[in-house]
Amino acid sequence: MFTKFFDWYEKRHDYAREWIAKNNGEVMGCFCSYVPEELVYAAGHLPHRMLGSHEPQDVTEPFIFGMFCPFCRDVLAQGLKGRYDYMKGITIAQSCLHLRQTFTSWRNHVAHDFSHYIYMPNKVQTDHARPYYNAELIKYKEALEKWTGKEITEESLKDACDLYNENRQLMHEVYDLRKGPDPKVTGLEAMVMVASSFMVDKKDHNAELKRILPELKSRNLNRDTGARLMIVGSEDDDTKFIKMVESVGATVVVDDHCTGSRYFWNSTEFTGNLMQDIANRYIDRVPCPTKDWEERSRFPHILKLAHDFNVEGVIMIQQKFCDPHECDMVPLKEFLAANDLPTLFLEFDVTVPIGQFRIRVEAFLEMLGVEELF
Amino acid sequence: MITAGIDMGSKYIKVVILKDGTVLGRAMETTGFEPVESASRCLDKAIKEAGVEMSEIDHTTSTGAGRKVAPKTDSDITDVGAAAKGVVNLEKNIQTVIDIGAEEGRGIKIEADGKVVDFAVNEKCAAGAGAFAEAMSRALEVSIDEFGQLSLKSDKAIPMNAQCAVFAESEVVSLVHAKTPKHDIARAVHDAIASRIVSMVRRVGINESVALIGGVSHNPGFVDSLKRALETEVIIPENPDYIGALGAAITASERTK
Amino acid sequence: MALYKTEPLKCWPKAKELRLKYYKDYQEARSKGGLRWTGGAWSFDAIPAGLGRDVYNVTGEPYGASLAFDKKLSMECMEATEAKGWARDLCSYMRNYWGSMYLGKYAFGGEYPEPDFCFQDHICCSHAKWYQHVAEYKRIPYFCIDVSVGPYKDVDENRLMFVVNQMHESIEWLEKTTGRKYQDELLIEAVENELRSTSTWAEICYLNMNKPAPLDEKTMYSLYVHGTLAKHNKEIADFYEELRDEVKYRVENHIAAVPNERCRLMSDTQPPWGFLKVFRYLEQFGAVSIGSLYTFGLIGIWEDKPDGTWGPRTTPMQKGETITTRDQALRVLADWNLSKPEWQHFYDPNLKTKMMLQIVKQWELDGVMLHLNRGCEGLSCGIMENRHGIAEAGVPVMTFEGNMGDEREFDEKRVMTRIDSFMETLELDIMDESAAKASS
Repeated sequence: MFTKFFDWYEKRHDYAREWIAKNNGEVMGCFCSYVPEELVYAAGHLPHRMLGSHEPQDVTEPFIFGMFCPFCRDVLAQGLKGRYDYMKGITIAQSCLHLRQTFTSWRNHVAHDFSHYIYMPNKVQTDHARPYYNAELIKYKEALEKWTGKEITEESLKDACDLYNENRQLMHEVYDLRKGPDPKVTGLEAMVMVASSFMVDKKDHNAELKRILPELKSRNLNRDTGARLMIVGSEDDDTKFIKMVESVGATVVVDDHCTGSRYFWNSTEFTGNLMQDIANRYIDRVPCPTKDWEERSRFPHILKLAHDFNVEGVIMIQQKFCDPHECDMVPLKEFLAANDLPTLFLEFDVTVPIGQFRIRVEAFLEMLGVEELF
Repeated sequence: MITAGIDMGSKYIKVVILKDGTVLGRAMETTGFEPVESASRCLDKAIKEAGVEMSEIDHTTSTGAGRKVAPKTDSDITDVGAAAKGVVNLEKNIQTVIDIGAEEGRGIKIEADGKVVDFAVNEKCAAGAGAFAEAMSRALEVSIDEFGQLSLKSDKAIPMNAQCAVFAESEVVSLVHAKTPKHDIARAVHDAIASRIVSMVRRVGINESVALIGGVSHNPGFVDSLKRALETEVIIPENPDYIGALGAAITASERTK
Repeated sequence: MALYKTEPLKCWPKAKELRLKYYKDYQEARSKGGLRWTGGAWSFDAIPAGLGRDVYNVTGEPYGASLAFDKKLSMECMEATEAKGWARDLCSYMRNYWGSMYLGKYAFGGEYPEPDFCFQDHICCSHAKWYQHVAEYKRIPYFCIDVSVGPYKDVDENRLMFVVNQMHESIEWLEKTTGRKYQDELLIEAVENELRSTSTWAEICYLNMNKPAPLDEKTMYSLYVHGTLAKHNKEIADFYEELRDEVKYRVENHIAAVPNERCRLMSDTQPPWGFLKVFRYLEQFGAVSIGSLYTFGLIGIWEDKPDGTWGPRTTPMQKGETITTRDQALRVLADWNLSKPEWQHFYDPNLKTKMMLQIVKQWELDGVMLHLNRGCEGLSCGIMENRHGIAEAGVPVMTFEGNMGDEREFDEKRVMTRIDSFMETLELDIMDESAAKASS
């Protein structure tokens, strides 16, 4: 049922090339899920969030020191290897220093026509962030208009916001189908559904979601749900890993990843000032740990997800060297433990030692099972 | 004029005796726990092979990790400098030298006269060095020679993490558990080391004429992986493990002039 | 026979005394009814100064470096932090600091003095999170200012005001948190001191353009540190003026830091604090490191001069302007700090490469050493692009890997070997073999 999403995800470059051929626009590479894609879309371009390819590579060492996360190097490798040779624009919305280097090195070594760095605030917990970010987004809008040579009208912007909100709503509906005792969607399918949404036109994505949703509601997966797990942590589109987890007696029923729920959880709320509304949507988003201070506002959200989706255990995964998540992992583990949620911590690289991880996941599941007996 | 070059490597000591640009003798010894004794023994062996007397040697230059403790030396030169000198002596047009020792890999960018313009050394991680291949061959219970040959039989690329030796090792264990054929694992290990090395050499830039030196150049599996990763031919000079010692002996003759 | 004469710095004992006084003042603050706060060396320390003259702080980075210098204590701290489950590749200052907090041990003897509040600014991924944890662990209030508004060349009113508005907010928060009345005249005084100390430090670094260099990097580390402790403090600003005058004297009398100076280098990022002998090792080759973008540009504030050179930034006071209001003081403070050279590369490594090449040219250097510092995500950000850019410009450059605060990640022997190779490419040999052996 999710074939189309897998297809898009696996043949992301083919899709992008075809999109360019059919539409009068360019592909905009987005670094980080904080890029306000609505603006890009309203300007007539296709936002595409770049992910890695999970292959070892030898091309980034001259540009990014090995102490930075494997994901940021994997993404740069895609550019250096010419896999995005059709892509004309790049945009980053400021978050971690790791991905920021991917952007600056891309700008230095990969051909492009347009690049923009959005100084997205890191302190989202101050009201001053709102007018500030609004003004920064207006600069981005103007830069896009200059590049495209045409105005982004209020109407096109509103249409883009509506389309994006609809996409968020539809993905929420799919996630809701994982709440019951027999989830209608596997964790793998959900992961690929969200990841493909970074890459395809939301019109296409929405159409496909609308097509499958009615069938999905009456779907029977014919598999044992096993332990209901949540997966939280840094960037994660490791399909091999989640597939393995779901093959040993567990189902991933929800996540807190920027490549998962965090990407679409909240919508743009309209108050009459569209640019400010878009700014607010990103400021009010479930934050990346690097923006989650002084309060740790993400933790209660994670707990609510765990309760809403009847989670029994949490797998915490982290890209090796990811400072933002490393700064949250210890208190998060304590927080979840205090709320009776056992955790398993795993460190990810471009590829993972699947055999070892299987043993650890199995041991974790065994532990969850034992607890059920008492 | 007769000179000697001693390469005090962390695993092997190599000596070259040079007379007016011609190699008269060479010898190799395991470094062991007594490097100074091993070096003296190695020097004696090389002198004997060259058919000269110790007293006839005009100048001795040492190189390698233990160059400061080498016996009977007049001067020393770093590994990087010696490698560059040794290579251009044999292969005039080389611009990039890849030197892989037991504990360390290096990429060296040189000018026509053997002058070093830039160099890069793999950082603390051992995944980019000879010792790692040996450790992995032990994990597969084959000799390092077999390990190299085995790799050539594989036509399958299995991605393996090359960022960290510990991670890589656990991936090898995973592959063994998954009953992956040994030759495919061997190739995966060689690909991973080659990728690590090439990654580091890219820092100084890779030119068309690349030379590979050091003991690892005897491992055909690794050389095959390296060529694939570099996407270019690799020249392996004669007696690739003696290049450092040769470079030191050449330096010695320059210093006597 | 040395090429130049040398002599120890006359104000050296004073530098030492000021540093110890700083840590002692903090320790004793509470018993005298004063306030203690903790935060980063990048924080706007002039702001809490408005709470009174009895307010003292400890800045985490130099404190972490002091711990690193004491290898045994540092090891205990690291282990205490790791025992709590924190990753080993996190900021090594932070791990040292947290360890000291967990163990309750102060690097300068006695117990870890409990702070009253945390006051920080967010520059890298760990900065805000560092004191978030301190505040949680110690159950004390916390305020952090976001300065991520882009490189100085692109700062406009909106960007400046985002920082200034948070500063105003922080003052309201300080009053509420401490119950004290905020005194604008103390803020203005502190801001003026900060402008004076950071501009004077740049002047000191500027004098190092002379040959022979009056100061070397190892010495500079013991002097720049005061700016990381309390750049807003009058004593520090006065001390830097005294130091500047002494450095001028050294220049006029050709007093060298390294008597055999024949090669001039610069480094970058924080050094491995437990292994400052790297710089002594260079001296055997007649090489002097005249500083780094880090020593120049973390505490020194600079500007492009009309003639295309780089020099100390002119303070508003030097321009004849007076600061009279809170808002004006905060605007000046924000603007001044956003122009910090060491802050620019967080947005774009090319800005740093450009500044480093400017130093190479203007200070007439022969090469650059880059410390691939695994202990600091922020200052290692973009460092390989810097290597690439510097090499492309034809300037000899070497890298060595280490960690400013975790000695387990520094391989002394290998680094020294690498320096040997670099010296060889610069065609330098050891001038004094026996001295070299003694130091290695």
